[in-house]
Order: sequence, then C-alpha cells, then structure tokens
Amino acid sequence: MKFKYLGKSYNRPDAISKVTGKAVYLDDIRIPGMLHAAILRPEYAHAEIVRIDKTEAEKMPGVVKVVTGENCHYHYGDNFKDLVPMAVKKVRYIGEPVAAVIAETLAQAEAALEKIKVEYKPLPVYIDARDAMKPGAALVHEENGEYWHLPTLKPTPGTNIAHTYHLKKGKGVDGFKDADVIVEGEFNYPLGSCAAIEPHGSIVWFKEDKTIEVWSSSICPFIIRDDLAHSYGVPVSDVRVRIPDIGGCFGYKSDITVEQTVAWIASFVPGHPVKWVASRKEDFTSTLVAHGIRSRMKIGARKDGKLVAIQNEVLHTGGAYADTAVNITIAATHNSAGPYEFEHCDLTGYTVYTNTPPVGAYRGYGHQEAQIATERMMDLLARKLNMDPIKLREMNYLVEGKVNALGEKMWKSHGDLMTCSNMVKEKVFSKPKPAEDENYYYGRGFAAVMKSPKGAPFSTKSCYMKINIDGSISVSMGGAEVGQGLRTVVQQVTAEALKIAPERVRVYTEIDTQYSPYEWQTIGSMFTTQGGRAIVRAADKLIAVLKNTAAQVLKTDVDYLEYDGDYVYLRNDPDIRVAVADLSRGYITSDGITIGEYAHAVSDARLPRYANPDENGQGSLGVNYTFGATAAEIRIEKKTGKIIVDKFTSVFDVGQIINPKQIRGSVMGGVTMAVGAALYEKLDISEDGKINNPQLFKYHIPTYKEAIPMDIEFIETPDAVGPFGARGVGEHSVIGPAPAIMNAIRDAVGIDFFEIPITPDVMKKALEARQEVK
Amino acid sequence: MAEKITFTINGKLTTVEVDPEMLVIDVIRDVLNLTGTKRGCDNSVCGTCTIVVNGKATKSCNMPIKKLAGAEVLTVEGLAKGTELHPIQKAISESGAIQCGFCTPGIVMELYGLLEEKPDAAQSEIENALSKHLCRCTGYEPIRDGALMAQKLIKERK
Repeated sequence: MKFKYLGKSYNRPDAISKVTGKAVYLDDIRIPGMLHAAILRPEYAHAEIVRIDKTEAEKMPGVVKVVTGENCHYHYGDNFKDLVPMAVKKVRYIGEPVAAVIAETLAQAEAALEKIKVEYKPLPVYIDARDAMKPGAALVHEENGEYWHLPTLKPTPGTNIAHTYHLKKGKGVDGFKDADVIVEGEFNYPLGSCAAIEPHGSIVWFKEDKTIEVWSSSICPFIIRDDLAHSYGVPVSDVRVRIPDIGGCFGYKSDITVEQTVAWIASFVPGHPVKWVASRKEDFTSTLVAHGIRSRMKIGARKDGKLVAIQNEVLHTGGAYADTAVNITIAATHNSAGPYEFEHCDLTGYTVYTNTPPVGAYRGYGHQEAQIATERMMDLLARKLNMDPIKLREMNYLVEGKVNALGEKMWKSHGDLMTCSNMVKEKVFSKPKPAEDENYYYGRGFAAVMKSPKGAPFSTKSCYMKINIDGSISVSMGGAEVGQGLRTVVQQVTAEALKIAPERVRVYTEIDTQYSPYEWQTIGSMFTTQGGRAIVRAADKLIAVLKNTAAQVLKTDVDYLEYDGDYVYLRNDPDIRVAVADLSRGYITSDGITIGEYAHAVSDARLPRYANPDENGQGSLGVNYTFGATAAEIRIEKKTGKIIVDKFTSVFDVGQIINPKQIRGSVMGGVTMAVGAALYEKLDISEDGKINNPQLFKYHIPTYKEAIPMDIEFIETPDAVGPFGARGVGEHSVIGPAPAIMNAIRDAVGIDFFEIPITPDVMKKALEARQEVK
Repeated sequence: MAEKITFTINGKLTTVEVDPEMLVIDVIRDVLNLTGTKRGCDNSVCGTCTIVVNGKATKSCNMPIKKLAGAEVLTVEGLAKGTELHPIQKAISESGAIQCGFCTPGIVMELYGLLEEKPDAAQSEIENALSKHLCRCTGYEPIRDGALMAQKLIKERK
C-alpha cells in the first residue's frame, strides 16, 4: 500500500533544538530557590547500619539539612513493594542511599557528605543468584514474603528467592521422551549498564500548598505520579510530574527509582525544589543495572531436526530489590524458546535477591539474555544432528499457524521470519568465507530473533489532538522521547491519519501529567504500535467531529460526506464543501452563530486481548511480535585474540516503515550496544560487592573506532495492530549480536563460548588452551 | 578568594567573579546559564562538555576557569545566527546523527574546532576527532556522514 507521508525520511522535529544546545534536559532546569542534594553510599554491599553521626556535616557551610532513612516507614514498588527510598537499619548493595546532604550548592553538599560518619556491621555478600539461593544463605530481606506484591508473584519466605515463575506447555519435561537427540548448556549474560550519556536525575519540590512537583529524566511520569501520591498520602491529582528531553534511556530510566529517593530527601525541606543528578559513578552503582541472567537450557529434537521439547532454568541475579527485576526474569523465561515452536516446554525463572544494584530494564528486556542460549543451542544441536544450522531453524520457525511457548498462535500479521532468514542466508552465507591467513581466523554465525510485547492490564497509550484555526494540528501524547524518534513517528502517523502534511503537524515536547494524556510508560518497543494506534483512533474521532459539524453546515447526513485533509465535501458533488479550517472551532456562520463542536479528540489504545497467564503460564500476551534474522561476519586476530566484526547483517519484518533514516539508525544503535555487551561490557563486581569499573574509562562502551559496518534491511508484512501496519523494532536489534558472534567464533576456531563478554584476553586464553589440547 | 576573570564568550566580553579553580563547565552552565554544554561523565571521557577555546576544541570539565582569562570562547549557543544554522549544525541535524541529542553539542563543537581551522581535513582526522566522543544511540555512522556533509558545506561556503 502506498502512503503519502509514511516511508519518507522527514527530519526529526527536535533536531534543531538539540543541535543548537537549546533542548532542555533535567540538569538544565533551574528553579528559583532550588537546593542541591548529594547522597552518601555505603562502604559495604551488605551490612547493618549501627550508627550514623551527622553532627559535623550539619555544621558545614551552606548545609540546609542532613537526611537519613531513620523513621522512614514506607516501602514502594510496582510489582513488589520491597523498595525503600533510603536505607533503613541495613544496606543491601554498594550504591544504596545511606544519607544525604541538602545544601545551597552541589559543591557544598558534596563537601559536607564527607563529614558524615557511619558505623556498619558487615553481613555476608552475594553477587550471584547461584550462591544467594543456596539453602542456609543469609537473607538479603528477612521480610521476603511479607511485602505487598502483585497476586501473580510468588516469593519464597525464608530464602532469597523473590519470585519463581513457571511455564508448562504440552507435557513439559515429559516431552523429552519423544526426543531422539538432546543438547544441554549453561549460559551467562552478566550484569551491565545502559550507560546513557545523560546520567539519571530528578528534581522534587514539596510545595507549601501540599502539592508535589517533580521533574525527572524518566520514561514513566504517570507511574511516578501515582507512586508518590500513594507514598505521601496525597491525591494523585496533587502530584505533577514533568519530563524534559531525555539524553538516552535504553531501559534504566524506567520504573520509579531515584525519584523516590529524591522525594524522601526533599520532603525534609518543604517549600524548596531539590535537585539531584547522578555522577557517572552513581549512574553505574546507584541506578538500575542490566541483565545478570544465567540460563541452564536443555533442548530435545527428533532425528530429522523437528524440535520437541525445551527446558530452561533462568537464574536471575536480581539485585538488592526485586521490584524492577521480576518482569525481566519472566520475560527471559518465557522468551527462552526463541522464535521456534516447541510442542513441550518446561521453563522456570527465579528472581533472586543479591547484594548488587537492582536490575531493571535494558533494551531487549530479557530477550537477548535468554536467546543467547537458544541461538547457541540451535548451533550445538545442528552439529549433533549433522545438519545445517539455518536449515534446522527453518524447520522450526514460529511461522503462521505455529504456537509459541505461551500458547499463542502466530498470525501472518506477526511477520515473515522465513523471508528474513532467507535474505540473511543469501546476503551472508551464499558465498564462501575468507580463508584463514597469517594474521586472522574468519568465521560467520547466524541468529534468528523474536521479541514479544510487554504489557499489563492497564498498559495503554493515549493521544490528544486538535485542529487550529488555520487547519494546522497540535498533538499531545504521554510518550517519552529518549532519542528513539518517537516525535517523528507521532508527526508522520498523525499526518497520514489526518491527511495533513507533516509540516502542519506540531508535536508535543515535554510531558506534564497535568496536561498530557495518560500513558502507562514508554517501554517495550510499543510506542509505534500502541501509540500509533491511539493516534489513528483519535484522528478517526476528530474527522467524525468535523463531519458532524459539516453535516449541519452543508445540510446533509454525515454518511454522505468525505474528508481529504483540506475539506469536508459531499461525496457525489465535491464542489459542495466546507474547509477544515472553518470547522476548527465549530463553524461560525456569517451572523456569528456557532454550530458544532470544537475540533479536538482524545483516544487511547491497548494491546488487544492482553490477559494474565494461567497457572501454567499459558495465556495471551497481547499478540504482537516482531521477528528478524541476523548474522555476524568476524575476524579473530591471532596475535591478540581481538574479535573484529567485519559486518553485521540484520533483516527485520517491521510491518511498515515510517521513517527509513530513523529506523536504520535505531537498528545501528542497537547492534552497536549489543556488540559492546558481547565483546567488552561487563560490570566488574568483586566478591565483596564493590563495583570496580563504575566509570566510562573503565566500563568501555563502543567508540567511533569500534563502529561496525552494517547491512540492514526491512521487509513489510503489515501488522494487525500498529498504525498502517507498522510494528515496533526499538529493542529487537540487540538480541542477535551476542549469539551470532559466538556462533561465528565457533565457525572460525571451533571454540564454543557460553558466556560474554569475549574480550581479547578471554579469546586469547581460549586459543592457547586449544593449542595445548592439540 | 573569588577573582574577576574576563574572557569573550560567544562574541560577548564577559567578566565572572568566581573561585579561579572552578571548572569551566560549572561557570558556563551555572554562572552564565549556557546549558547547551553538557556533563556526561566524571573524568573527561565522554566529550559532551566540549567547547571551542581560541579556535581549538577543548573539554570544559577538567579546566579551571582561570585558564580562560583573555580567551576567545565559543559554546554551542554561539554558532547559529538567529535561525540560520552553522553548516555543521545543519549537516548534523539532517544526517540522522541526532537521537537523544545529549552528545550532540560536544560533537558539533569538536567538528567546529577541526573544520573551521582546517576545512580540508583528511577523513582520518575527522575520524580521530569523533573518536573523542561517546554516543550510545547511533552506532556513529550517521555522525560520520554528518561530519562529511558538514565539511562539504564549509568548503562550498568558502
């Protein structure tokens, strides 16, 4: 289908404000009377707080207040209310807030922080789920089981297991009886960081009139609003949250985290806005971290390659609080079947309390952590079956009519994985790979990917739009622009839906819970799908308003009317018409009488048929998936063990491209992040829970020099939910790189890796070990 | 111990009265309210605080303000003339180089320091300049494209 404004590379509506330095980010906000907070972090990752002495700190210049967690009686959280805004009696991870200083300047607050004396009694530290879940382990939360939690969550009191998730499809483990061949492996996707260039931060202001105002670099203003209202016992309408431009998110600025801490601090100085922005170190240690997922996977197949059964045990190092980790455990567990149909599934996930920073969302949300295992296992299985690994996959893809682990039947509109796969096969594997030479080994590896949606019963997105007196459009939504290009999507989809040129559509900039239409949170690659659907629905309503007014003006019934963006006109005689601009405020007749309605509309959209799963984890997750196929072509430097990705190929079925330049940019950015995770990114945490690399010169993220040549293509099988057939692709690009690179390493040098990152040191040691075996 | 320090910033002769050891980024952002210059890290790694001092791209997060005495300073706010963008801004805003935009001001100033001084810079020089900046969004290819487009616009302008 041809569209007028989709499939074209319009420039971002926010490009000029960003390139001129005028875009306002959290730390750029200045409010009269604003104070600054600095937060003290513990010396131990797990310890009782014996005593805090703040007397010296209170005497320091500029200090307004020194705050601790003493007398903090509330817990917060969306899934588990296990979080506290500041440590009370004990600390559970190395980045936890212990105390804070509020001062007139940040420098004064930081200087006073050093004067706070804290006495601790250290406790045993666990940095890995495997250790923390052993019987007899010291408890990170003695209260485990007592916290309020969603009815679907299952904590095990007296242990560090915050939640056990179990999915059974078909005969479960008994399904392995039907298998001729079985492969097993244990994999690890270690803790990492989103490391957006803008550190996370918030401003909270308890006002004299008992209302609370918040600014945050967050993607979930409405959750912050509701949660703070609950914690501080005020009506939701008395909390106002505003979101300025966000300097990258990639996941960890979701949920409510630092906002509660800053609110606790600010609650001691009512009347004053208090700002806190993470230092880079704090951004690593004291915001949400990523991944921390081990998979123990077993796959059974028949001799001909038909997959039969899968068992997986996901051990999630969830960190000191489970609220933000638990849904990642669940996503990793049920998505560990990957883009394949298994008749029998037995998938178990454990969210485990550990003395590491709480794990939260990271682009991909459990998918890359699980599918690193699935995609490696496909290659291991193919080898055992003596089959081509892509052919094995092709036999088992979740194509139309197949049923995934959750029991959802795949529709044609979920996309055409087979074509994606064939395209990658043709692009990468149709020619011989380079032969080993003096300096390098060469290899190629494949990975197919699937991402499911992330929903909740109330996970809606809304759109408000109005037509102005000149026929131009103002559109507002609650979706957070983190760089992904959501504003461009809003502009182009609104233009298409209203048949009005994008140049005449002005998209909202900041979000304000007082004025913006409701959005659950901007997560899960769902803005294009759900937000786009909300735009289409609002546009339909708006057009209906225009037609209703026009029917009165043109003295006809509504169903005889057509709309083309400029006019509403009689279908059989287009000369009988009224201009859209003249209908914008209702229609004003020559004698000044106004008829009809003001031309505005609001609508929202959820995923269709989303429901909580049954006791076996079977249910409808919202029937919205995106599939793709990827491949890595690599070189391994013999001397250093360095892995160079010569090319990374990605093909996704995105339903309908909205902005070609932007969608390519999204995939390039995702692949780059994931290659970073595969080859060098990892939080280096010592046994005592200290983080040894919480700086960008130690935690290496890809630089220009590590940018990878990419081949990126899209196919378009229209989606049933998204606007004009478009579906989400924001996270999908991060799923393939790690397993594709690992499969390429196996192809190059015959070594199987089960864990990332594969740094030059790791690779070199493996090459040397192989040498010894020979 | 505050001292008066005078320099030209974005074409305007300016005197600040501050601790001479105060970091340039803090003076620019908190005293002069020029918030286009960003802070992204604690140790001069990310490059987003880059400004141009006497024609040279310079990180502002590790330099005391006393070193700016008498200097000619340019921040990202000083590039556009009204609504007319500098060629680097035009190219970077159109090449797909901007996603979240937080690294953008530093990259724009880095390229200004290089290309205004040396419009014929080799591609390797442009790449070395870009290597001083971290971007988590784009994968860098559209930034390189923007830089090359900017170079072309600057050459055509001269």
